Amino acid sequence: MHIDLKKEVAHSGSGRFGIALFLLIVILAIFAPLLAGYDPTAQSPVDLESPSLSHLLGTNHVGQDIWSQLLYGARTSLLVGLSVAFLSTLLSAIIGASAALIGGLYDSIVMRVVDALIVIPVIIVLILVAAYLQPSLWILIILLSLLGWQGGARIVRAQALSLKEGMHVSAARSFGASRLYLIFRHILPDLSPILLVELIYSMRRAVFMEAGLAFIGISDPNMVSWGMMMRESLEFSYLDVWLWWLLPAGIALSLTIVSITFVGHALEPVMDPRLRGEASA
Amino acid sequence: MVRMFSKRNLTIYAIALLLILGLNFLLPRMMPGDPLMAIYGKDALVQMTPDLQADLVERFSLDESMWQQFGAYFVALFKGDLGYSYHFNEPVFDVILGRLPWTLLLVGLSLILSTILGIVLGIESGWRRGSKTDKTMLGGIMALNGFPDFFLGMVLLLVFGVSLGILPLAGAMTPYSGLSGGALVLDVLKHLLLPLAALTLAHLAGGYLLTRNTMITVLKEPYMLTARAKGLPSRVLKYRHAGRNSMLPVITMTGIWLGRVVMGELFIEIIFSYPGLGYLTYEALLARDYPVIQGVFLLGATLVLAANFLVDLCYPRLDPRIRHAH
Amino acid sequence: MLRIKDLRVNYGQEQILKGIDLEVRDGECLAIVGESGAGKTTLGLSIMQLLEGRVQGEIFLDGLDLLSLPEKSMEEIRWDRVSMVFQNANNVLNPVHTVIEQVMEPMIEHHLSDRSEAKERAWQLLTRAGLPRDRFSAYPHQLSGGEQQRVLIAMALANDPELVILDEPVSSLDAASRAEIIGLLKSIGRDHTFIVISHDISSAAKLADKIATMYGGRIMELGPVSEVLSRPRHPYTRALLRSYPNMTTVKDLQGIKGRMTRPVTGCPFHPRCTQAIEVCAQETPSLAPTQGRYVACHRGGIITLLAARNLSKSFGPLKAVDSVSLSIEGGETLALVGQSGSGKTTLAKTLMGLWESDDGEVYLEGTKVDNRGKDFYRKVQMIFQNPGESLSHRLSVLELVREPLDIQGIGTKEEREHKVMRVLEEVELPNKGEFLERYPHHLSGGELQRLSIARALVLDPKVLIADEPTSFLDSSLQAKVLKLLLNLQEQRGLSMLFITHDIALSRKISDRMAIMLQGRIIEEGASNEVVTDPAHPYTESLVKSASDLHSKSEGLAQALFDQPL
Repeated sequence: MHIDLKKEVAHSGSGRFGIALFLLIVILAIFAPLLAGYDPTAQSPVDLESPSLSHLLGTNHVGQDIWSQLLYGARTSLLVGLSVAFLSTLLSAIIGASAALIGGLYDSIVMRVVDALIVIPVIIVLILVAAYLQPSLWILIILLSLLGWQGGARIVRAQALSLKEGMHVSAARSFGASRLYLIFRHILPDLSPILLVELIYSMRRAVFMEAGLAFIGISDPNMVSWGMMMRESLEFSYLDVWLWWLLPAGIALSLTIVSITFVGHALEPVMDPRLRGEASA
Repeated sequence: MVRMFSKRNLTIYAIALLLILGLNFLLPRMMPGDPLMAIYGKDALVQMTPDLQADLVERFSLDESMWQQFGAYFVALFKGDLGYSYHFNEPVFDVILGRLPWTLLLVGLSLILSTILGIVLGIESGWRRGSKTDKTMLGGIMALNGFPDFFLGMVLLLVFGVSLGILPLAGAMTPYSGLSGGALVLDVLKHLLLPLAALTLAHLAGGYLLTRNTMITVLKEPYMLTARAKGLPSRVLKYRHAGRNSMLPVITMTGIWLGRVVMGELFIEIIFSYPGLGYLTYEALLARDYPVIQGVFLLGATLVLAANFLVDLCYPRLDPRIRHAH
Repeated sequence: MLRIKDLRVNYGQEQILKGIDLEVRDGECLAIVGESGAGKTTLGLSIMQLLEGRVQGEIFLDGLDLLSLPEKSMEEIRWDRVSMVFQNANNVLNPVHTVIEQVMEPMIEHHLSDRSEAKERAWQLLTRAGLPRDRFSAYPHQLSGGEQQRVLIAMALANDPELVILDEPVSSLDAASRAEIIGLLKSIGRDHTFIVISHDISSAAKLADKIATMYGGRIMELGPVSEVLSRPRHPYTRALLRSYPNMTTVKDLQGIKGRMTRPVTGCPFHPRCTQAIEVCAQETPSLAPTQGRYVACHRGGIITLLAARNLSKSFGPLKAVDSVSLSIEGGETLALVGQSGSGKTTLAKTLMGLWESDDGEVYLEGTKVDNRGKDFYRKVQMIFQNPGESLSHRLSVLELVREPLDIQGIGTKEEREHKVMRVLEEVELPNKGEFLERYPHHLSGGELQRLSIARALVLDPKVLIADEPTSFLDSSLQAKVLKLLLNLQEQRGLSMLFITHDIALSRKISDRMAIMLQGRIIEEGASNEVVTDPAHPYTESLVKSASDLHSKSEGLAQALFDQPL
């Protein structure tokens, strides 16, 4: 498979748009302290104020600056998103590849467990666990990773299986190269495109889940989250305040997810070359 | 994203069920402190008499080994005893049963609608790949997909419920209205409209994208040329020939996507105060009503497993290559 | 019924069909034969208007120009009046519908019948196509290749179309199914008009009345099947038949020189044609009638190079050559078979002008030869039985091969030497160093014969007269020399008059054979026919006494006692 990932994204209009948007969000998140103006957790007596020059998006019910919350919320989303994506893709890769390469009983057992885990609805497990544990950021990240790697593992395993055939051929020809050498030199590089796509979709899920959980109330109380913002704003839905409280948070979340989606879509021909030749959306 | 269909047999579901039961069983018992408190929660405990507490300890063998506890737990499940909710003052089983139909209604309808809509739009889009219609639909639906279902629900609620005030804000029916027959059905539908719209719109992208992608591949197959050569009208080509083949992967994925819909259902119920299992979970979470949480977890997970199983059974009926594999 | 006029199909920059003219009459079966890339499938699809490229020209179905029709009207015509049996690859049938449903579908959608009528008719069609009844409700992937083919045939006949196009109907089948399907098609073909597209000449021959050979997007030859296959008049058709292993022809397989290219101007075949002239690269020849069929060739088909008419030569009272007429065509081998004393060598020498004829004429490329000057010898060369005798022992290899060039005064010294090198390479002799300095008595028999061939070739002749060129050689050497001659024919289009007493040998190297007895040609014809069905008793005896590897010597005994085998 000769795939130039950069080319795939560069050629697709939606891909370019996605990357651009995502980078914008990343920049805003990184420079949040500079751009915010207020400590997002600092409460003030100026509550439920409409947007003004001092508070770009107004304040919430306890006087916190919404614009600052928005920026710091980006940090939370991106942090959780990237960490979970990285961890779960790593798990997918290790478990999927090992199942394919080791084969035999190990493979059968692992895949049975994976299939079983796939059918279990994630959110319900999360709620149950969250009911007992008080989630901190890291517990959240670990939980989400543990519940998110299964789908990817199946894909990685399938790809690794087909590469394994090629590996045997090259092993026969390359004068007894060790298995490890072949894995690192041949299989892993060929798996990278698939892993990348998996990473992207994993991040999308993670951002969504983090916001959703925060929305129900399951989040790290020290971190600002867009989901939490939306949850809080819901109680005041009868006031006009939702326009600059709920909407920005929701739109920010949506834009983040959309940008990741577009990048993922541009890379889809990686998984299925038959889709190439797509006119950019 | 294209995922492969795997033949899941009963062992998978058995393992999954076991995992669920195990988790449900182990989690409270692994918490530090008094197991009774972990299972029932501090508030509930306050309400119980010492006699009741002792009785419960006995029933669930809480002072004995893990294995005996699991045995007692299992036996209780078999008898349909999911515990007692002190928050609602009813057996958990009854509480859940009361909310279940509403959830089934909403989830069922939205699943069916979003699947059908997704497939139809995917077929039409794939057929016209590259055209303006296709590009607009593709961009539009992908953008729509970026909106989390709860955000979509909130926007709909605020726009149609609060600002425009044309649709109800909460509940599944107008309370204390005493309606019946046709009027009742209409009332229910009115309340159902916004939550259903939110859920359906948020989840049709999956089916749409997958169908569209499959359609693109299918249209290149030799049998499409054969069908064209038969002089068949484009409607027949699109649906009977291409569509029938393109919808297969979506059906496979329905089981997997069910988890997402369930999550969306949870959020939507919260937003619209819709009296289903999701809202129940939310209330229970706030009140730390552990028996209810566990009950919903158990039932919810089991139902999802059952639905998956059903889909697995249905798929071979639709794809003759699987049904009559050599 | 179907008339195609100047059909041109372009796909992007490439022109796939370069102007096709065809006619098919009611009830006829036309076979379109060619190799991959010729454009056969494109032609079939263009009739049904299923192509994506740009189509120009006219296709008349009973007077209605299909290319001018809007898509909606074309939809109605498809499968109603013209249907197609597609090449049976994977997934030609929709995998999610039963086969009987797929046969019924066009009937229902074209509003010809309701469901129950359609089902009944589908039932009949599938039965006629030979599909077992329990297979009717099966899905395509459950059927074997032969069964799928039957479904495709039944489906094509669903709406009783006037014209059915069959694209490789039997190529994917095993031999047994192939024969069955051909039989089925033959019986169905009586009530319909068929166009069969195939690369398999044998099945095309069995099914068709007319055959057209296609190359590079144009039709090369078009005519009745028996005529075209037994006596092809176009160089490509002949080359195609020569390269096709079958149980009829006896000559060794030969290919076509060069590779398939797509020249923009001129005849598509001209880069690989061994009788191409200047105009062939410039103008595209159109199909012209000749000898009972149509041929697209600027030279009117395969040319006659050398011909003799009523040639006679006597030595006193002995008529060595008695009123002999024969002709040698471009790029073919004519074997002259006869025993010693039959007059074959005399005939050869008379043709060459080494003996002067008493009567009759010789024609070279159509013009009568009166005086054989340098031009004649540039075109006609001869090699003799005993190379040792015909090669001067005083000249070195280089000098020997260069001699004809020296005599004819062709080119500079360097150019001549260059030519010598090239021709030595062609006959697989070393062309460097000390070999060039060697003298004939230091060479082996096989090398000598190759040397004489090289010398004969250095002038680039069109005809090579070879008089028993291998009789002095061991069989293994003989085999190599013969292979070399066949290759030279393939690469240069060399014609040969191959003189031999051995009919088994001549079989392997010749397209046509002439049997000579006591100065006369008593039989002549295509090699396979002469050998398998000899008309003259002498020929028969030659065949029977020819070398064979059977352990019992029936042949000779039978010939002597004239009893059937």
